[in-house]
Amino acid sequence: MSEKKYWKSFGELNLSESYKKDQENEFREDLPSVLDDGKGMMDSKHPRRDFLKYLGFSTAAATLAASCEMPVRHVVPYLVKPDNMVPGVADYYATTFISGGDAVSIVAKVRDGRPIKLEGNELSGVTKGGTSARVQASILDLYDTARLRYPVQMVNNVPQEVTSFEAFDKLVSDSMAGQKGTFVLLTPTITSVTTKLVIADCLSKYPGSRHVQYDADSFSGMLLANEASFGKRSIPSYHFENAKVIVSLGADFLGTWLSPIEFARQYATGRKIDEKAPAMNRHYQFESLLSMTGANADVRYTHKPSESAAVALALLAAVGGAVSAPSLPENLKAGVSVAARDLLANKGKSLVVSGSNSKEVQTIVNAINEAVGANGTTITWEAENLTRQGIDSEFAKLVSDMNQGAISTLLIYDVNPVYDNPNSKNFKAGLAKVKTTVSFSGRLDETTELCKYILPSPHFLERWGDAQPRTGSVSMMQPVIAPLFRTRPFEDSLMIWSGNKTSYDNFFKQYWTAKLGGYNGYEKALQDGVVDQMTTLAGVVAPLTGAKYNAGSLAAAASAISSMKKGGTYEMILYQQVSMGTGAQSNNPWLLELPDPITRGTWDNYAMVSPNFIKEQYGINLSDHNQSDKFESHPERQVVRLKSGNSELLIPVVAVPGMPDAVFAIAVGYGRESADPKNTGAYIGLAAVGAGKNVYPFAWDNGTTVEWIVPEVSFEKTTEVYKVAQVQIHGSYEGRTSVIKELALSEFVKEPEEILDDRKKEMSKFGGIENFEKEGTLYPYADKPGIHWGMQIDLNSCVGCGACVVACHAENNVSIVGKNEVLRYHDMHWLRIDRYFTGNLADPNSIETVFQPMLCQHCDNAPCENVCPVSATNHSTEGLNQMAYNRCIGTRYCANNCPFKVRRFNWEDYTGADSFPNNQDQNGVGKLNESVLMMNDDLTRMVLNPDVVVRSRGVMEKCSFCVQRLQDGKLKAKKENRVFTDGDVKTACQQACPTEAIVFGNINNTKSAIVKARQENEHRLYHVLEELHVLPNISYLAKVRNPESEAKEKA
Amino acid sequence: MSSLKYESQVRPPLVSGDKSYHDITVDIIRPIENRPSRLWWIGFLTAVLLLCFGIFSVTREVIYGVGQWNLNKTVGWAWDITNFVWWIGIGHAGTLISAILLLFRQQWRTGVNRAAEAMTIFAVLCAGQFPIWHMGRVWVAFFTLPYPNTRGSLWPNFNSPLLWDVFAISTYFTVSLLFWYCGLLPDLATIRDRAKLKWRKFFYGAASFGWSGSTKHWQRHEALSLVLAGLSTPLVLSVHTIVSFDFATSVVPGWHTTIFPPYFVAGAVFSGFAMVQSLLIITRKVLKLEEYITIEHIDVMNKIIVLTGSIVGIAYLTELFIAWYGQNPYESFAFLQNRVNLLSPYGWAYYIMMGCNVLSPQIFWFRKLRRNLVVTFFMSVIVNIGMWFERFVIIVTSVYREYIPSGWSTYYTPTIWEIGFYMGTFGLFFTFYFLFSKFFPVVAVAEIKHILKKAGENYKAEMGPEEKESIEAFAHEYEHAH
Repeated sequence: MSEKKYWKSFGELNLSESYKKDQENEFREDLPSVLDDGKGMMDSKHPRRDFLKYLGFSTAAATLAASCEMPVRHVVPYLVKPDNMVPGVADYYATTFISGGDAVSIVAKVRDGRPIKLEGNELSGVTKGGTSARVQASILDLYDTARLRYPVQMVNNVPQEVTSFEAFDKLVSDSMAGQKGTFVLLTPTITSVTTKLVIADCLSKYPGSRHVQYDADSFSGMLLANEASFGKRSIPSYHFENAKVIVSLGADFLGTWLSPIEFARQYATGRKIDEKAPAMNRHYQFESLLSMTGANADVRYTHKPSESAAVALALLAAVGGAVSAPSLPENLKAGVSVAARDLLANKGKSLVVSGSNSKEVQTIVNAINEAVGANGTTITWEAENLTRQGIDSEFAKLVSDMNQGAISTLLIYDVNPVYDNPNSKNFKAGLAKVKTTVSFSGRLDETTELCKYILPSPHFLERWGDAQPRTGSVSMMQPVIAPLFRTRPFEDSLMIWSGNKTSYDNFFKQYWTAKLGGYNGYEKALQDGVVDQMTTLAGVVAPLTGAKYNAGSLAAAASAISSMKKGGTYEMILYQQVSMGTGAQSNNPWLLELPDPITRGTWDNYAMVSPNFIKEQYGINLSDHNQSDKFESHPERQVVRLKSGNSELLIPVVAVPGMPDAVFAIAVGYGRESADPKNTGAYIGLAAVGAGKNVYPFAWDNGTTVEWIVPEVSFEKTTEVYKVAQVQIHGSYEGRTSVIKELALSEFVKEPEEILDDRKKEMSKFGGIENFEKEGTLYPYADKPGIHWGMQIDLNSCVGCGACVVACHAENNVSIVGKNEVLRYHDMHWLRIDRYFTGNLADPNSIETVFQPMLCQHCDNAPCENVCPVSATNHSTEGLNQMAYNRCIGTRYCANNCPFKVRRFNWEDYTGADSFPNNQDQNGVGKLNESVLMMNDDLTRMVLNPDVVVRSRGVMEKCSFCVQRLQDGKLKAKKENRVFTDGDVKTACQQACPTEAIVFGNINNTKSAIVKARQENEHRLYHVLEELHVLPNISYLAKVRNPESEAKEKA
Repeated sequence: MSSLKYESQVRPPLVSGDKSYHDITVDIIRPIENRPSRLWWIGFLTAVLLLCFGIFSVTREVIYGVGQWNLNKTVGWAWDITNFVWWIGIGHAGTLISAILLLFRQQWRTGVNRAAEAMTIFAVLCAGQFPIWHMGRVWVAFFTLPYPNTRGSLWPNFNSPLLWDVFAISTYFTVSLLFWYCGLLPDLATIRDRAKLKWRKFFYGAASFGWSGSTKHWQRHEALSLVLAGLSTPLVLSVHTIVSFDFATSVVPGWHTTIFPPYFVAGAVFSGFAMVQSLLIITRKVLKLEEYITIEHIDVMNKIIVLTGSIVGIAYLTELFIAWYGQNPYESFAFLQNRVNLLSPYGWAYYIMMGCNVLSPQIFWFRKLRRNLVVTFFMSVIVNIGMWFERFVIIVTSVYREYIPSGWSTYYTPTIWEIGFYMGTFGLFFTFYFLFSKFFPVVAVAEIKHILKKAGENYKAEMGPEEKESIEAFAHEYEHAH
């Protein structure tokens, strides 16, 4: 190879110093620089190019920044972190739910300072951890946008803010100064020990003053009857768990009557089946509508509302009472005699309850209970039920006193007689004649807006207090959040206005510290939330032990009943829905959208009528499935005009199997309206606007008590129709035996393995039940080690109350869609309670009802999973069918392919979480109700559970088995370095259930409750649509009824 | 010497009128070179208006959500997927004509294949709109594509029939487009060669990829056509088979049926040919192409319609029989109650389907009716209405009342925006079709020249006298000629 040297410059050839140096320098040319020469941009080396670059970039950046109009949401961290508070870790405080006389011990879950969920307090001797839909939903009332935010004075019917409590006190005291008339405090039943003391103290400062207790759902009939029969105006404790035979005369004791959470639990205790020795109570229901309780009955008879007193009388005669039986229709008479025989056959283990508010009827019922030996066994007087103390006649007296100008000061706390009293017109007139009217209501309801001074009381989660729903059982109340608004407990006002120097909070603390033996006892009581078995309480008369029955009033009652007004052609009965109750929470979207257990209707009340009525009046034969298909698949319902006395009402009719003919049953609690209807949204709440009609004016005063039975109404057809939003339109289960399984107790005793045998036969071609999973498919079998979640639902225990549904809403941030969207079948319930009827539509007595909680079955071979093109729904190693919302593109294929129809799609932007801002304001198709927008208010959104994603528009969602709770429970076990057990986790529905119908746990752990429950109930166990081989992880226990035929056989 | 004659004595000529090669070129390319007629403008603008309405409807749906449609918690698909399957079905005739008939050497196809293929492409485009815009979150539609990503890597679910749809339809679309364009090349070159306007020369020059008509080009062209035909043939069968899997692989009673693949393919060909008829009857009239798209074509296609219509009818009856014979309570309910029962909420839809698809095409057993343009046009519309209802019946009457009676749905009717979306795809389809008929030859110029009777006539004219000669005389003359 030649040694030639090639060079390209003299520098290289000579290897000069400058050349070498130059070679080492990586950047031989100057870097383009803008500002380091200090001459500014335009004078620098490359001014034009750089200028254009900067210009381009900044324009693009500015355009980008300006065009993406994102709503600004502030997250403000703690400046100083409070002690004992870890962000993201929930605190739990025991407190008490109060609504009117109802008091339920609860535990509030507080996340980062805001309460987000209420659970039942398991330490309570009354409710034992059960809750109701209304209790579950009451958390939302705390964040109600219509709550009054400061004290108000009404000036020319316009609310004007009063700047301070002192100013308010001065206004009231100026107004009260120099008055001669009586001072009256009007409240619902007060169960609080300390409040009663405060009231007594206050009244003592005002001579001649009095305290009137008023209950919208009055029990004065029973209170007065008990006074006559037992010498005391009080209500005993009922023990449904001790009863073998329960006869309810129109009492909805599982849903709305007296203490439903307690009763539902007791009732279910008597209906849980032990497969080794199957036995259960028998429940007779005589009623004038299909109530939720009636739907659970084994034997059900319907009668006209006007016959309800006669039924009680006939039953008394049949159990051997010294009264003559009134005339009744034949089948009813037969029913009464069967029930009577059954009652007598189980003397001492029977219980008769009546939902009537008539003193006479309740007197008769007392006599029946005495005759069947209920007193002392299923009815006891050691502890009284204190939740209803209002006497209607006292309120009536108050109204007449007001009208006569005898009352100068009226303080109203938490009652709304202008809305819910039949005498509301007179009350309104009287209110105008009272000089000083003060309301302590939390919102400008119908009564409050007519008062002069309004000092809002805090929500029960914002205050101290106590409640004593049953003698000796006290439930403590403590604030779980600082008051959101300028509110003051009404006890404080009473104390200040009666010249007391201490505040109620201090008084409360002092009282209970003394009562409970020092501060430690007080603190423990607050921590537990309940104090049971208290025997010495001031302010409460000692309980009536072993009350002696006195039949003195019986004859008078019987003769009064036989002279009662006979019913007309059409009759009407008012009832309470398990969701809405008396209407105290009627601005609560969770409750408004909670489907009624019977009609499955939402957002409205309506007149329930029999299918025969529809046939006679409108010529639609609902027994013909072609006609009923057409009828039910359209939401338009005929509107009728009902008239009674001065009251008139236009209301849609809804056909309900099991309704007696010629009876209209309409729920109270709807139709809230301010004096000027335009104000309803602002005063009462946006959700309440247009929700149903008020039927309280149809109730009437029979001289002693308020009756909800209207013996005669005139009815007129109209040409109008009204859309009723139901979430389920088809009532029959079409004989689909793998959806619902039901059998009679005698069948079950005779052939306990009937269901199991059917399942075995069905799966015999796959080698039996145990091999079905492997052999029922072509695909290879995969082991399922570790945790595998499973749930069991006992159809015998489920009473259909809907507490679980609302609990699910609260726990999982399930959206409210509003009436417009429910009408379009867009409801979002993750958990629903399906209701099916069987029997002959034309005969209301033959109708039987089954409730079936239906939620994602978490199938191990889920049909929804394999059809998702993007695997947004997939199976976890723990057997959960899970949704990755962020991955979901919204094809809805999974929902189509779900045999259980439990998947819910976000059709519109219900939550405000969408990528498109301002897309909730549209008109036309898919217009959202105000109530949906209300749920998106910053205040209302405080109720959201931060552990659960708020789903945006366009994604599918469904039950997750409360996966956030499962993770929490597993982590808890892990941190404590132990194996996960049952106690670590409860799903929201399971926890809310008052009857413990739901069992949940790890089916791979042989010691878990779910495995035990499945083993012990092998004979009743089934999976819905098991033959599809979707392998659900939820099992159901067949419903067992204890029908009348067996009673007849025995008799 | 009749062995040299290859003239069919039975079949009428495929192109009527005494056309020369030049006549054909002029006849077919005339609309492209002339200004569009008034009728064209009216049709085109109507189509564009419809398209705009469709775009507006879809925009509303994208902004406000699928709640703009009346679907509900039970009926998750209705008009959207009905329209999707309907359009896909229509998109079957073109490829069937151009590919399968090419392989079977059915020469009559050359008169109609270009328009039918174009129709296929536009119909598939329209069909594709529905699965895209029916998504709740269309902006993440790309999740369905298997692309490498940083999420894990997270792939789509290859078990899902919807994903199979994505592949099946995109493949079908691509192959159909290539096939169509490949056939267009010589014609585009012809237009280029004739073009007097500069832009036309440039545009068609670029579009014809330098086609020079050399033998090598023709040879490659033929080979490519054959390969693409071979590729498309299985696709014709597979696309609708896979679309039918959307239903057949589900658990929904009424969907879960093994008969679906052949039944869907037959239905697709059925509706596809009906759509070809509708379009060509108008096109041949408006563009004066009666001599190329003759009554013979109409007749042949009507035969296919009556054949496939009858296959579909047998499928319907088989389904019914199996619903009864299978004794599956859910399936028999879906068929006997939701469909056959005329008084059930959607019973009427079932009878429209039966009437339009099974009964009405039977009139085509009569030659006279097969060759009647008015009857054929009317029937082609009826068939497509019937086929729309077939998909509606399958989708809606199956899901609206299935396993769990509590979930049974309220009566579904479409909203204005659902209808608007469907109208919009008509707009899309006709906008494309009108543009196509203006800028591309609607009959394959080059291909139709192959089958011109003229070639035979010329042969007869020139060779006739010679055939009369004896072989010896011919041989003698041949030898002496050189």
